Amino acid sequence: MTELLLSTAVSLAVVLAFITVMAMFFVWSERKVAGWIQHRVGPMRTGGGFQGWAQSIADSIKLLLKEDLILRGADRTLFQLAPALVLASAFAMFVVLPFGPGLMVADIDLGVFLILAIASVTTIGVIMAGWGSFNKWSVYGAMREAAQVASYEIPLGLSLMPPIIYFGTFSLKAATEAQTGSFGMGWYIFSDAFWIAIPSFLLFFVAALAENKRAPFDLPEAESELVAGFHTEYSGIRFSFFFLEEYAAMFVFSAVGAVLWLGGWNFPGIQSFEEDSTALLLLGTASFVLKSFFLVFVMMWVRWTVPRLRIDQVMTLGYKYLIPLSMVMALLAAGWEYIKHLGGQA
Amino acid sequence: MSSHPAAEFDHLPGREVELDVATQDCLIHMGPQHPATHGVMRVLLKADGEILAGAQTHLGYLHRCAEKIGENVDWLQYLPYTDRYDYLAAMNNNLGYSLAVESLLGAEVPARAQYLRVICAELNRIASHLFAVGTYGLDLGAFTPLFSALRDREEVLELFEKICGARLTYSYIRPGGVMNDAPEGWLTKVAEFLDRFEKTWHEYWTLMVENKIFIERTANIGVLTEEQALSWGCTGPMLRGSGVDWDLRRDQPYLIYDQLEFDVVKGIGYRGTLGDCFDRNFVRMFEMTESVRILRQCLAQIPDGEIMHEEVGAVIRPAPGESYVSIENPRGELGHYVVSNGTKIAVRVRVRSPSFCNMSVAEHLMPGSMLGDAASIIGSVDIVVGETDR
Amino acid sequence: MSQRDTAWGPMEVQRVAASEAAQALQAVGIELKLCVPNLPWVAPEGEAKDLVRRAKEEDAEPVWRGDAYLLLSEPGQVTQALQHCRDELGYSQLYDLTACDPAADETQLKLIYGLRNLKSKARLILQSRVDKAAASVPSVASIYQAADWHEREAGEMYGITFVGHPDPRNILLPDDWVGFPLRKDYEYPDEYNGVSCKE
Repeated sequence: MTELLLSTAVSLAVVLAFITVMAMFFVWSERKVAGWIQHRVGPMRTGGGFQGWAQSIADSIKLLLKEDLILRGADRTLFQLAPALVLASAFAMFVVLPFGPGLMVADIDLGVFLILAIASVTTIGVIMAGWGSFNKWSVYGAMREAAQVASYEIPLGLSLMPPIIYFGTFSLKAATEAQTGSFGMGWYIFSDAFWIAIPSFLLFFVAALAENKRAPFDLPEAESELVAGFHTEYSGIRFSFFFLEEYAAMFVFSAVGAVLWLGGWNFPGIQSFEEDSTALLLLGTASFVLKSFFLVFVMMWVRWTVPRLRIDQVMTLGYKYLIPLSMVMALLAAGWEYIKHLGGQA
Repeated sequence: MSSHPAAEFDHLPGREVELDVATQDCLIHMGPQHPATHGVMRVLLKADGEILAGAQTHLGYLHRCAEKIGENVDWLQYLPYTDRYDYLAAMNNNLGYSLAVESLLGAEVPARAQYLRVICAELNRIASHLFAVGTYGLDLGAFTPLFSALRDREEVLELFEKICGARLTYSYIRPGGVMNDAPEGWLTKVAEFLDRFEKTWHEYWTLMVENKIFIERTANIGVLTEEQALSWGCTGPMLRGSGVDWDLRRDQPYLIYDQLEFDVVKGIGYRGTLGDCFDRNFVRMFEMTESVRILRQCLAQIPDGEIMHEEVGAVIRPAPGESYVSIENPRGELGHYVVSNGTKIAVRVRVRSPSFCNMSVAEHLMPGSMLGDAASIIGSVDIVVGETDR
Repeated sequence: MSQRDTAWGPMEVQRVAASEAAQALQAVGIELKLCVPNLPWVAPEGEAKDLVRRAKEEDAEPVWRGDAYLLLSEPGQVTQALQHCRDELGYSQLYDLTACDPAADETQLKLIYGLRNLKSKARLILQSRVDKAAASVPSVASIYQAADWHEREAGEMYGITFVGHPDPRNILLPDDWVGFPLRKDYEYPDEYNGVSCKE
């Protein structure tokens, strides 16, 4: 029992450190990517050397040292609780991610389901932040978040159905292991159901952007409309919690995409490595992290390219296009499995 | 006695919807510090959820008494103040004021100065429209067009720095001519910039104007009809976006514009209704290419010669009288109504600023649109608050 | 295209438009005077600087340069005149509306209305005079909506009451500002709401 507790505690500490470092890396890379896309160089000086690598560290120190302001009219309980709730939920999602062969905190049978469920808790935190801020713009941001995220959970969940039906499991670890065939290239998008996999992946990606409030769906914090939306009144460390959450959630959804469609930790030639070997662990983890980072990069790329939709257009896209399409994809996936089953019987 | 819980709200202005729930419109202050107001301006929005029920513009936060200053300083000393009302198109402001003073002096500037003035004014128009198009992207949530636009605008600013030493507030065009002649090789540099700019113009077109989301956000939004545009005194891209064929450069030619060939761009309802936000941006996009045409002709035709009228000195005493001179600023008609009594200080310097008139109609375009469209509409008017408030 | 006769724009077309409009307005019973500048638009060589001296020496009718304008004798007729200009003469745009205080010892303020005809490409300037002591003139915001903000500005700066204006609040100045800043006899305040205005 003690051993279990200890190993869990160590894993959690590793995950926490990973989230923090990763989020800082993403903040830095977002600035560099934005700079490169916009004919700029991004931060260059901080750290006195390579490409301003220490910018995020300097930013974090600044955020930690800033005065933490709470408006007189604000609901203090909600206001102070909201960032913690948001960050905790983002943190909890990492528990079920299979980083590498044998490298995950908890292999839960309903891993995908857990991620979807916890992602909704973030919404509650955002609504608390918006309501507790005592600012009309924040309330608008919170209401938009409630409307947008609640509606996009449906296409997000439905678009996850094709791989789940294909692999027959909700467990992310089992799904990854199911893609090990064909010399490590048995990824879902390369499978016999690739014609379902590719559209459903695109649907998932769009829904994930909306779920994460990333541009072009960043309505809850739309800075040219709502100043900064739900986090207008936040400063210092509390603001940085929202910041961390955004990047952590981006990584989680990218990781889910990488696991269910792009083979997770699998990489070409994985079969030639011994099971439980260090090389396999390292290469597998690198493969998983690189795939996830690539998807995060695509999210950044989208953000710095397109304008923002309007709230009614976001809702139209969700309800009129994404939900029916993802439903069709789920039905097609089920039908394809049934046809294969019939073919197997014959 | 009513025991309904909603009854206590009955006295509030609101509307009855289903289930007897009394709703109330929400008043929101957009500004004075707000990313989409392009300066220190406040729009009081009345919103029913996401839908705007009314809007009221409040100006004055950037009022710097320009007209009162004009009545207290020398005619020439006022020139630097003109830089500061439309700080994105300061060359054009200098030009408008200089022409107004010259109209009272009765002094026509030499031909080379006229060409230099047109070159600078048109370069400034490109820079200003680039900024307008870029910040419009920013208003709609796209950051990248702004930085692309700033890259090209930077080249224009460098050209201005070479010719007059300033990047934003030039005071280069002055009553009687221009401050100094173009340095050697400057005109070639302008030509090189035009070649580069013609290529990058297509980037804005594909990145922004032809973007599906951009079209969704601007087409059919904030439709300004021709009658409205005329009645509200709109000018510039705002008027032409509504399909009115009117450009002071062609219809009231000043300087050498009557010797130059260019088209007046007007909105055609390319992606939506005539006179919507898309059309106003569309006009700005193509006015830049027309400016390139004008500049090419100027560079080919520019003569050698004097750059200052020899009788206009440091202290000028224009003839008594009153004169209204207007020019086509990037934002519309910039008019100076100047009154002189023959002394070295003006009696009245009235600035008819385009943003002031264009902005007056914006609050009437907003009701019925959505909260996000408020930013879209204000952005398409392309105001500079320094100019609405003066 | 209008004839360009000076470097600051066409002037002859305006003078013609002013005299035509004067006749048309007089025909409908509006009392006015046509004022045409008596100096050439472009000064002869050597005179750009020294006109004032010459004018004083000759001691004749005051010389002036600039735009021709119509001076309405009766400020109350301004709505009628503008209505006629818009509906009958085709002046579809009010490009400017402002006022001017010629000097501190004058008893009257000038009111200037600038109209534009987009078809004939002519500008027309109408002026009227109102007493400083009781500056009041009918609003034209119902004829040209552009007058809405211009009248608010002229009203706060010169203390002119525009009778019938839909929303006569201050526009650039704070609501509690005292005095009319653009009048020549305006005295600068010492303080505003407790903030010292002295240097």
